[in-house]
Amino acid sequence: MANWRFKEIVVMAALSVVFGVVYLAFLPLGGVLVGFFGPIGYDFIFGIWFIVSIIAAYIIRKPGAAFLSETIAAMVEVLIGNAIGPMLIVTGMVQGLGAEAAFAATRWKNYSVWILMAAGVGSAVTSFIYGYFMSGYAALAPGYVTAMFIVRMISGALIAGLLGKALSDGLAQTGVLSSFALGKEYRKKNAA
Amino acid sequence: MFLQRLNPSLKALTILLFVVLLALIFDPITPSLFLIWTVSITFLFGKVAWKKYVLYFIPFMIFAFGMLWTTVIFADAPANKNDILLIFGMEYPRESILTALALSLRVLNVAALSLLFIFTTNIAHFILSMMQQLRLPPKIAYAVLAGYRFLPMMRDEIKIIHDAHRVRGVNQAKTIKEKWNNYKRYSIPLLASAIRKAERTAMAMESKGFTGDKDRTFYRQFTIRKTDWFFPLVMLIGFTTAVIVSFEMGFLKIFS
Amino acid sequence: MKPFVEVNGLCLRFETSQSNILSNISFKLNPGESVLLLGPSGSGKSTLTSCLNGLFPRELDGEMEGDIFIDGKRTTDYRPGELSRQVGVVFQDPETQFCMLTVEDEVAFGLENIGEEFEEMSAKIDAALSLVHMQEYKESAIASLSGGQKQKLALACILALEPSLLILDEPTANLDPIATKDLIETIKNLQGKIPFGLIIIEHKLEGWTDLAERCLLLNRQGEIFYDGSLRHAIRRNRLQLMEQGIWLPKTAQYLLNSQPDLEELPLTVEEFSKFASTLVNVKPQPRKRTAAYTADTIVETHDVTWSTKRRDIISNVSLMFGDGEFIAIVGANGSGKTSLSRILAGIQKPSSGSVMVKGKALKDWKESLLRQEIGYVFQNPEHQFITNTVFEEVAFSLQLKNENNMEEKVNLILEICELLELKHEHPFSLSQGQKRRLSVATMIVDDQSFLLLDEPTFGQDAHSNAELMHLLQQRHQSGSTIVMITHDMEIVDQYATRVIVMNNGAPVADCPPEKLWDMTPEKLKEWQLELPVSVQIQKICEEEAYYVSTTS
Repeated sequence: MANWRFKEIVVMAALSVVFGVVYLAFLPLGGVLVGFFGPIGYDFIFGIWFIVSIIAAYIIRKPGAAFLSETIAAMVEVLIGNAIGPMLIVTGMVQGLGAEAAFAATRWKNYSVWILMAAGVGSAVTSFIYGYFMSGYAALAPGYVTAMFIVRMISGALIAGLLGKALSDGLAQTGVLSSFALGKEYRKKNAA
Repeated sequence: MFLQRLNPSLKALTILLFVVLLALIFDPITPSLFLIWTVSITFLFGKVAWKKYVLYFIPFMIFAFGMLWTTVIFADAPANKNDILLIFGMEYPRESILTALALSLRVLNVAALSLLFIFTTNIAHFILSMMQQLRLPPKIAYAVLAGYRFLPMMRDEIKIIHDAHRVRGVNQAKTIKEKWNNYKRYSIPLLASAIRKAERTAMAMESKGFTGDKDRTFYRQFTIRKTDWFFPLVMLIGFTTAVIVSFEMGFLKIFS
Repeated sequence: MKPFVEVNGLCLRFETSQSNILSNISFKLNPGESVLLLGPSGSGKSTLTSCLNGLFPRELDGEMEGDIFIDGKRTTDYRPGELSRQVGVVFQDPETQFCMLTVEDEVAFGLENIGEEFEEMSAKIDAALSLVHMQEYKESAIASLSGGQKQKLALACILALEPSLLILDEPTANLDPIATKDLIETIKNLQGKIPFGLIIIEHKLEGWTDLAERCLLLNRQGEIFYDGSLRHAIRRNRLQLMEQGIWLPKTAQYLLNSQPDLEELPLTVEEFSKFASTLVNVKPQPRKRTAAYTADTIVETHDVTWSTKRRDIISNVSLMFGDGEFIAIVGANGSGKTSLSRILAGIQKPSSGSVMVKGKALKDWKESLLRQEIGYVFQNPEHQFITNTVFEEVAFSLQLKNENNMEEKVNLILEICELLELKHEHPFSLSQGQKRRLSVATMIVDDQSFLLLDEPTFGQDAHSNAELMHLLQQRHQSGSTIVMITHDMEIVDQYATRVIVMNNGAPVADCPPEKLWDMTPEKLKEWQLELPVSVQIQKICEEEAYYVSTTS
């Protein structure tokens, strides 16, 4: 914990609150989708659950940012009234690990759009493995399970990876990120 | 009430333990018995308003229903194809039906366990207790609590930004692309203000001497008392009974 | 005496900027001494605060030179967090100083940080809360407190740590006049009870001048250009003060306008009333007002009511807004000022009653056409920004209409608003005053004839304030109707042709400002209004003259 500025952690928590509101708005939509399509309904929008870790990692660029932010986001979620309660924290940690793995593979050096999308896919993979066990996907037909998995990975890459990058870049332009890695990179780019 | 006074961390861990145990069960009898047990415990030992409880339970019911029919339709090929049940004049493999029931009952079980927790726990106390019992780093615990305070501010801000943009003539979006652009316009000021608020809050907290040091005293002290162990014990009794009854009835099915 | 604070040759530069935010700052502060720290926006006042409480250089992205000693020890030699027992800060924004949910937990948070024993805590929390008269809120949720109460809680949290130096970093910038007075009163009472030194950072000096005689003045380059008595500074360095956009106490400012060579300047109305006999002939000053134009009605409301589930926010309001008027809406917090303005702008639908714009019911207007008639400037200008540069921001609504010679038009507006050289900057990176002017710019680019503003002068330095008011006056002169919500009675007196007082959701007075000032003090008190300083002074002079004429 020592190499983290407290400011960075509170910023993660604040971002989590914003997306927490978004998640809560998405939950009923997910419920409806599941009512119609079965478990795969959630997978279309699953990427939105990973977006905080992509944004935090991209902005702060420290080892652990993706994992920590997703964990914090889950705790904030529990606090603001997600009915799934304490289980969500475990879910968050599992998702965070997936994204973190992608960044770790580049030794936390590369934050290009491909890596961000890979991180979104990473979260999709770990969360799927966790879901496979906890929700009993084993009982479903292999074709259906495969479809779920693919849809979730695409959602992770697009919603979490691409959208996460777009939002972070938009933020960097406003100058509010001046004391974070992404803001500093922007300044260098503009100065050059 | 007993459940409200329980140590929050221990309560959460107990809940997690039984969610994991439930994931091993693939027959409908065990989860239905345990569901009755959990709901009874909630109302016997926790003061819970049943109307609110039902309201929270409904989304899980819908979810469970979705689970039910899709699992029947998309189920893995059953081992015994000739064992058939008739429902509404349609033939379904008995095994698929039982598994589908098991999975949707599992969803309801998870719901009941979650609701037991959130309806009987002061969530801020849960965070404080995680710091004291589960070694959650104070930096994270207090950041999460600080973040929670932003929630009403963010809700107000979303509304203000919406109005402010309307005055600028923004809200005339008709196509999906325009709508998408509008959402993006909303989100940047919202996130920017969240970040700035977070920075200011962090600064104010640090100037009050917060360092993230684990060695701190607590105004609200949480401990695990001997009587707290009563809860996991009661839940274990319920679960074991459910498993035994299911076994006696010949239904019990563990991880297939 | 050994100084408690000693700053030697402090220079500080942020990574983001080429120039220093603080340059060569040196000063000393004795134990228990109070000082006012004044300077325009962006002069580094808050940065200096972060240096004194040890946050910088630890949390600084940039470079810092020079030495700071607190109680004889370098700030960098204190362990992190240790300095909080010496130096406490109350910040500007009441919303972002807390991390707990209830009052007692928040006070406890600081005590936990310094490792206070559990057994001692409860008593210390009670003691700190009673110092700011907040005992009865001990178990309240922080979210349920008003802005003023939150600032008092922030103060209590600091006091619980028993620091020797208290820094108040614009603690009243977000408070209304009543809460401001209350906070200042609370701090004054503390001074007799417990010993502490005080650094007060504020834009407006009303109420603070009897707390500290000494002042440190910072200029835009972040240098201290004056260290000494405030009175002396006003007497000798007045031009410099004005150049730097530092507010003078209103009383002093007013008297200087009529008697620029006055030697002994009273800083408050109370002081003036003691002097009054020697200063009887303070001539009333001409107001800055521009006359109202025609009496054609542009916006009118009929029996407008707006209620939420719990109560009526606005009840049965019928008002006419004439073309070319400059109207101020005043009243206590929660009296319905903002809600009324939102209804007028068509942002909020009333529950009943109707609003007419140019003789046509509001609901019959097409939104896009309505926005060309009515502009609305929000309290926080950032909420209204939607593009990435200042230029695009102004051009936005013209683009919606595909207007030609757009560039010319935008440049002209930017020039009027003194933003032309910033046209490639991101709107969020502007200063507070510039942001306000930009949001006005976006609201006049369509030549909107009816402009509503929600407290546009809140928390600005004197310079930005003057620029903004100048801009509004220009608009008024060219025929626009201006309606602004404000707490600043000086502005009402100087600029408004008409003032509407809101109380409990309904207008209780609607008249020219002079008429309002002549109402009974009881009424004004009930509406939580104060006379402008200029009027108070004139009243004292009149009384004095009356007294002289009856006794001689």
